[in-house]
Amino acid sequence: MRWWNRRETELNEEIEAHFRMAVEDGTARGESPEKARSNARRDFGNEALVKEVTRDMWGTRTLERLAADLRYATRMLAKSPGFTAVVVLTLALGIGANTAIFSVIHAALSPLAIPHPERVMLVWSDFPARGWHSIPASGPDFLDWRASGVFSGLAAVTQDGVNLRLPNQTERVDLLRVTADFFSVMESGPQLGRFFTADEMRAGGPPAAVLSDELWHSRFGGATSVVGQSIILDGAPRTVVGVAGRKFPKWQHEQVYTPLVLDADIATSRGTRSLLVTGRVRDGLTIEAAARRMAEIGKRLSHDFPDDEGIVTRLQPIEEGALEDSAELLEVLLGAVGFVLLIACANIANLVLARGTGRVREMTVRAALGAGRWRLARQLLTENLLLAFAGGLAGVIPAWLGIHFIKSFEIESLPQASLISLNWNVVAFNFALAIATGLLFGMVPAWQARKLNMSDTLKAGNRSATAGTHKRLRGTLVVCQVALSMVLLAGAGLMVESFLRMRSAWPGYDSRQLLTMKIALADKQYSEKRAQASFYDRVLSRARGLPGVAKIGATDELPISDNIHGSGVYQPDRPTPRRADIPVALVNSITPDYFDTMRIPLRKGRWFSDADGEGSRLVAVVDEFAAHRLWPNENPLGKPIKLGTKEPVREVVGVVGSVDAPLLVTLLAGRLGQVYLPFAQVPKPGMSLVVRYEGQATPLISAMRDVVRQVDVDQPVFQIRTMDEVRGTDQLPQKLAAYLLTAFAAVALALAGIGIYGVMAYSVGQRTREFGIRMSLGAQPREVWGGVLRQGAVLGVCGIAIGLAGAFGLTRLMGKLLFRIGATDPLTFAGVTLLLAVVTLFAAWLPARRATRVDPVLALREE
Amino acid sequence: MKHRYQNRIELLQGTLDMLILQTLQWGPQHGYGIGHAIRAHSGELLKVETGSLYPALHRLERQGWVRSEWKTSEAGQRAKYYRITTAGKKQLAGEQQRWEQLAGAIAGIMNRTPEEV
Repeated sequence: MRWWNRRETELNEEIEAHFRMAVEDGTARGESPEKARSNARRDFGNEALVKEVTRDMWGTRTLERLAADLRYATRMLAKSPGFTAVVVLTLALGIGANTAIFSVIHAALSPLAIPHPERVMLVWSDFPARGWHSIPASGPDFLDWRASGVFSGLAAVTQDGVNLRLPNQTERVDLLRVTADFFSVMESGPQLGRFFTADEMRAGGPPAAVLSDELWHSRFGGATSVVGQSIILDGAPRTVVGVAGRKFPKWQHEQVYTPLVLDADIATSRGTRSLLVTGRVRDGLTIEAAARRMAEIGKRLSHDFPDDEGIVTRLQPIEEGALEDSAELLEVLLGAVGFVLLIACANIANLVLARGTGRVREMTVRAALGAGRWRLARQLLTENLLLAFAGGLAGVIPAWLGIHFIKSFEIESLPQASLISLNWNVVAFNFALAIATGLLFGMVPAWQARKLNMSDTLKAGNRSATAGTHKRLRGTLVVCQVALSMVLLAGAGLMVESFLRMRSAWPGYDSRQLLTMKIALADKQYSEKRAQASFYDRVLSRARGLPGVAKIGATDELPISDNIHGSGVYQPDRPTPRRADIPVALVNSITPDYFDTMRIPLRKGRWFSDADGEGSRLVAVVDEFAAHRLWPNENPLGKPIKLGTKEPVREVVGVVGSVDAPLLVTLLAGRLGQVYLPFAQVPKPGMSLVVRYEGQATPLISAMRDVVRQVDVDQPVFQIRTMDEVRGTDQLPQKLAAYLLTAFAAVALALAGIGIYGVMAYSVGQRTREFGIRMSLGAQPREVWGGVLRQGAVLGVCGIAIGLAGAFGLTRLMGKLLFRIGATDPLTFAGVTLLLAVVTLFAAWLPARRATRVDPVLALREE
Repeated sequence: MKHRYQNRIELLQGTLDMLILQTLQWGPQHGYGIGHAIRAHSGELLKVETGSLYPALHRLERQGWVRSEWKTSEAGQRAKYYRITTAGKKQLAGEQQRWEQLAGAIAGIMNRTPEEV
């Protein structure tokens, strides 16, 4: 740089010396000093030009040129701080938002930290006749698949929870039971100790456990001495043999691993589907060939075994499986945020063009001084890239904020959420995006500069010959902006409407003032059904006496749980239908007070009572949906049902109102009916308590913990949350999408408004003289005003029309995120169209009004 | 307008370079002196524009045909003096030869009488 400056100074000195000598010669010839000086100047010609052209001779060293361009660009931008600030801010928001969303996608798409993750497959069973997909496998199916030789290792896992006893309390932790091959499928070793031995994998073998990295750090302080230590899981001791690697892929949130032993029950019953299966495709076999082989095996099994009838076997790459739940949310967010950036680019291109029009004279003079067209274009591009870079730099702040905002939602379905951070890849993306946007919006004015026509421009004064094409281009940009905004607004409108409907939807029970908590009795300590029943009886009766508890009930699965306890419903008084036609219902065990506590209304018959006990007649209550499905035109009361062919017959004694199943269940299995059984007749080890409370929930939490501790200190109470909180968690993806889309749409709307305003204001400014003449010739203000407004309206209508067409196509992609609203809901579309129309008209109206205030005399004199 | 300049420079390029180098044969000189010398020696016929002279000097320097240094003139003025290098002399010889060929060829055409065509 210093070297550069020296050369610059030398050039200045050289030219100064030239002047001095010329002036001296002049005075020597007898001219007056002033005359000599002016003569020397005239002879020399344009000094700036001479310097510039001479500088060009210094070579094409790009670095120097870049430095010169950059210095010039910085100077130009510093001259218009308002413009620069607006552009940098707009860009920072646009780029930052994109970077934040990208960080989530980057984390989600990061390959699993195992060798060749693309060869690891999930093996699913689908049941197309019912529209079910991705259902777990049965033990015999798993064993048949494993024997096929398609996989070098095939493992089955089940997800569960266990009670981990710690020095001062017992805590619920997530457990993954795994078969022998699991760790070899993952091909990722432990960071400490070892995985299970063959001996530990066998039934009755030494009880062992492997800890996750997270649990090891959070509960065992990351001490290496943990290996060999004994821990108490579900009341029974197990030896910790190892700790999984820090990046070991998670199935969900498992914190501890224990061996999964296929007992005789699981290994022989083809109808019991509880296993999640993953395998590594054998070397030498392509993924396609493996998928074909597995499909053939599946076909054979469905032919040979009635329990597998209609089941199709499907392979899914494990990484794709992890993405499945959140793919739509990510796609919608990425699309939306991309639109915001495009709108921002259009807006900036518009600003740059508007400024470019004002700079036509500057450009022309520079061209006249010998700056080449390419050179001018390059200069403009440099300016815009500098702007974009500044925007990218500033964009890191909103990106960081955005990342924290998204992380704060703790959406469970986002894969590898722990990797979401502002890491180098993400920052690199941020700047790549900045440069891409700089090129995008910088190209337009640079290209325009190419067509500069010097003599015309100089003659025309401020009114440039390029103004016409500028205007058309800017009009096009505004139409694009309005169209993109329309799509975003439609998406945001649908999302908000959907979220509001979800929030206000009556789920079939009263979720206010309802506290829920889970208890899962350890198998070892409560293997007896009777012991399970008496544990809950004692807890419930003690809890009833607590202050603030109005009502308390229990169910084995809350209606907001993603776990499906479904079962086929058989009617023993009718012929058995074909397998695919057997109705399926969710089955829950509940205590008699459950309905009353939840305020689920009774439609017919009666609720359960304490009389529906172990020894009495087996009874069931069905919901309205199931009643309608099973007995369309009959009275369901007194009808017999069986939940599975080998199950006993139960009599329907009541019909209650239907309760919404969680979104995920509805998505996977469609709308299902519900059958309730009395807990006393069908006890379960794990139950959720529901408490209808008065006043505050917080004091109740510790009181409820105490109650359970008094009954059995070893059984932890977990997931204590109010029902509204739980429902909120279920709605998190929708909430995030609604928030972000609304924010994006608001920015888009503002930018589109500014865009229209800018173009109209510019156009009015250009036509001041014309308006002045027309007004002085007697034109009514209303005509002038109307003309301008019409021009704005044309832009708005074009944009809205294109945007509507786009929105109709694009909102379909967000179908799964929507709740009880069509992807092209006419009311939402009409609403956002109106909103956009009002904003565009207002943006056009402001400059239009100014057109009528033109003072004809002033306007004419102005030229 | 740039085009006009470029055209002129193009037209003059080889010739102006040659004239500058030739001027420098007589000893180191600054830009103003070179321009002055060319005008004087051409009988005021050739007037070198500064807009061509300085770019040409800087170009010749970059090509290594001249070298520059800051010196104080007889009049006690600090000025940038250009000196022809060995490579410059070689270049000058080559250009001179090309120029003579060209001049001879043009003269040959111009001196022909119509009958000879």
